Amino acid sequence: MTILNESGIPDALSPLYGVGSVCERLPYVLGVVAGTRSEAHLAQTLSGFPASPERAAGAGRLLFMILDPEEEPEGGDLATRVVGEAVKFRDAGAVLLFRSRSAELLGVDFDFETRLLERRLGVPVLTVDLFERERDPGSTGGPMGLSTDVEDRALAALVDLCPHRNLEERPGKEGTEKARGRLGGLLGRRRSLSLRRRGGRSAEPPGPDRRPVALLSLQASLGRAGRSLRELAADLERAGVQVAGGIPGPAAEEFPALGPGTVAAPLDPYLATAAGAARRRGAEVVETLMPIGVDGTARFIQDVAEAAGSDVRAGEMARARSVWESLGSLRSRIRGKRIFFTGDTGLEVPLARFLSDAGALVLEVGCPRLDRRFLAPELQVLGSGGVDVIESPEWREQLGRIDEARPDVVVAGPGLHVPLVARGHLCRPSLDFLGAGIHGYKGARRILELFARSLQRAEGLDAVEL
Amino acid sequence: MKLLRGVYEGPGSHGILRVSASLARVQAVLRASPEEGYFPALLGSRTKRMDPEPAPVSLSPIWDRGSLSGSSWAPGNLSQDLANTVRRHPEAETVVLARSETALLSGEELPELSIPGGEEEPPPKLVTFGWESPGLRETEAADLALAELVRAYAAPAERTEEPTVNIFGPPVFNPGAAAEVAEVERLLGLLGVGVNARVPLGARARDLEGLPRAWANVLLYREVGDGATLYLKSEFGTPRVTTPMVGAAGTGAVLRAVGELCSLDAQRVRRLVWSELADTARLPWYARLASPESIGGRRVAIFGDFTYAIGLGYTMAREVGLEVGPCGTYMEHLERDFLFHANTFTDDAFVTDDPEKVASRIESASPDLVVGTHLEREVAASLGVPFLPLLSPAASLPFVERPLMGYAGSGVLADALEDALRGVPREKSRETGDSGVPWTEGALEELEGVSAFLRGRSRRLAEQRAEELGSTEVTRRIFRESRS
Repeated sequence: MTILNESGIPDALSPLYGVGSVCERLPYVLGVVAGTRSEAHLAQTLSGFPASPERAAGAGRLLFMILDPEEEPEGGDLATRVVGEAVKFRDAGAVLLFRSRSAELLGVDFDFETRLLERRLGVPVLTVDLFERERDPGSTGGPMGLSTDVEDRALAALVDLCPHRNLEERPGKEGTEKARGRLGGLLGRRRSLSLRRRGGRSAEPPGPDRRPVALLSLQASLGRAGRSLRELAADLERAGVQVAGGIPGPAAEEFPALGPGTVAAPLDPYLATAAGAARRRGAEVVETLMPIGVDGTARFIQDVAEAAGSDVRAGEMARARSVWESLGSLRSRIRGKRIFFTGDTGLEVPLARFLSDAGALVLEVGCPRLDRRFLAPELQVLGSGGVDVIESPEWREQLGRIDEARPDVVVAGPGLHVPLVARGHLCRPSLDFLGAGIHGYKGARRILELFARSLQRAEGLDAVEL
Repeated sequence: MKLLRGVYEGPGSHGILRVSASLARVQAVLRASPEEGYFPALLGSRTKRMDPEPAPVSLSPIWDRGSLSGSSWAPGNLSQDLANTVRRHPEAETVVLARSETALLSGEELPELSIPGGEEEPPPKLVTFGWESPGLRETEAADLALAELVRAYAAPAERTEEPTVNIFGPPVFNPGAAAEVAEVERLLGLLGVGVNARVPLGARARDLEGLPRAWANVLLYREVGDGATLYLKSEFGTPRVTTPMVGAAGTGAVLRAVGELCSLDAQRVRRLVWSELADTARLPWYARLASPESIGGRRVAIFGDFTYAIGLGYTMAREVGLEVGPCGTYMEHLERDFLFHANTFTDDAFVTDDPEKVASRIESASPDLVVGTHLEREVAASLGVPFLPLLSPAASLPFVERPLMGYAGSGVLADALEDALRGVPREKSRETGDSGVPWTEGALEELEGVSAFLRGRSRRLAEQRAEELGSTEVTRRIFRESRS
């Protein structure tokens, strides 16, 4: 494998796309974007437009705080306005405050606003940066991030909603709750309920050597794609692992405990920041392959089981073999197909690893940014398959390489998708793989089906005489 | 500081990019923070245009190059990025530099730049905008940018021998932008008036150069083009026609004005208008055919940009005979003009860029039809009345564009109106207002807490629930139940 840095501008969707998708996925979250018209316009435009009333209900949980660039923001103004509007979102269990570079340039004191907002609303207020504050030394590439960066940072912030392992161990907790109750938070009623639930959970001690596992993934945990988290959790439980739940949880007060003595397993290759947040909480973060593809899932289950204190080595390999065999006919449909990833979400690396394992020929894997440390196990396996990885690819150069190589399928970023289709290439938008339930053994089948369907449809359309 | 549920307009840089992407052989460089690069994705997915060339926009990211600076080719150095854009796009005649809000806020100055020429070809012209400021909005910036580009190119020239005009139409992302220009061009052709240039869609540098050759400027979309045509008027004395060309009346007025400016025989113009009214324009025919009961007393709410809101409002009020209730625009910089025009056909003209205020304005008027931007869809759905997404911004653009201007456009409007108004029985359309079921104070208080977007729907559901329970009034409890 060669990793080449092209020092270009990759065709990745702006990560502000994640603002809408996070708020849509988490019905208990009220999102507030603090910035100028630019951020509001981007977040609104890229998160897709309300297509149905149901969808709008989720998309409606997003407010845009638009700062006047000519005016110095007054301290507390942001919090006051959000509080005024929050009566319309009575069931919100947490507020995600998206912080833009421009808001910081204009001098908004986010620490102060967050504290004020938290006190007045009585629900946790978590801040999420819309921009990359500082580059992780382990990651390389150009100036551009992945389109999933905001999702990663939002998940890192949501880790704060996880109760610490034992409530008793958390000093001052009682006091905060009381203070919240007195100030009459949005969630007065639900808080007490959640406390009982939390109590219930910590009252049931895990086995002496077995440590509970929390699965980190936004895309796999909720909505239609939630099936892949459930499937994976079932597979882990069969391997003797105690799955405490997914992060994010189904409600603000139903997050699994996280802290020393627990294990966190990120399911997506772009969750480096979220994994870091879990590690800072004292949880052990499993470093292994992503549970994408058959081999990835098998390694993931084994390594997570090991970290959680149970051992299933032989059983899991047998399971993986039988899944692999059951995918035979699907594998034969993509065998020898030439696939090109322009690079956008970060899912490209494990997808390429699985596809080349399944017999496809991966021509190029674009990586707008590469977290070499976080993805070390992935890169090791991908390297043995002889796939070229291009860091920070220049999309105009990619266009030339694609025209030259004429791949069978291009997994394309959003700006290249339409021009490539117009040039006669068969494309699959990179965003199709987000939320498609691609994790675990069943997810492996879905990945292959996704490609097989594209190929089959193209054949069908090509066969029509126009 | 404003807390909004959505925005109608983007930042100034978005307006500049819309204009530059509308023109041909123009490459734009967007100086912005990395996460502000979005235009190629938007252009592809929204316009669905079958174009093998990616969007003519490159990003020059502002980021801390740290150890990479100097030693690396990594993008981020503005003059290097401009040079790369020129090198990669030898066909470009113009390079436009736009700065994002973040760039402006972080104090990015216009650099002293020149573009090196090639061996034979002259270098492309670099156009920068000194007036950019972080508070400037999309539409105003688009208008200023077009004026700036026209100023950069337009050169004195003799008038064409035969009468010609320039058409200033809407920029890219306006639904039907190209179809509008095509329809106007068809009508002008029937009049025997040639088209000297179409701006901005598809215009090249040399089209801009030759703008002063036209006898008149037909300004279809004054939101983007007002500044440019005013400049051409003051600098080259080219007169302009500014009436919105919506509906049969508006179209006739524009054609008569063009006829006068091009010294055409008035008889000829009249003949064309009559034949088009007989053959193409379907709106007057629809208005004659529909029974007074199906039209009279029906109230329309209109919200959107300037030209279409005014043009459609006037047409629906006068030519169709609908009652135009609230009619508004989000273009606050055109407030005075808008209110002046809108007050001729409605008592309820307003200007705001807050979707929530628009929603409550529409909600309280309980209209039978909502004509608006994609942000008004929710209000209409919540009130249970038909919705026509005819105004910009639109969530997605159609594969086949249809005009709303000219005589053909009036036919499109007739179809849209008939479809929208046919299905709604009169009684039902008023039901959402004060229906028979009374509300308790407490329940009304709860309703206040619901966003204006969804109030109509919540009200309906609560009244249904009260009926199911056999209650004579909507109480706080019933309201809460209906929402759970």
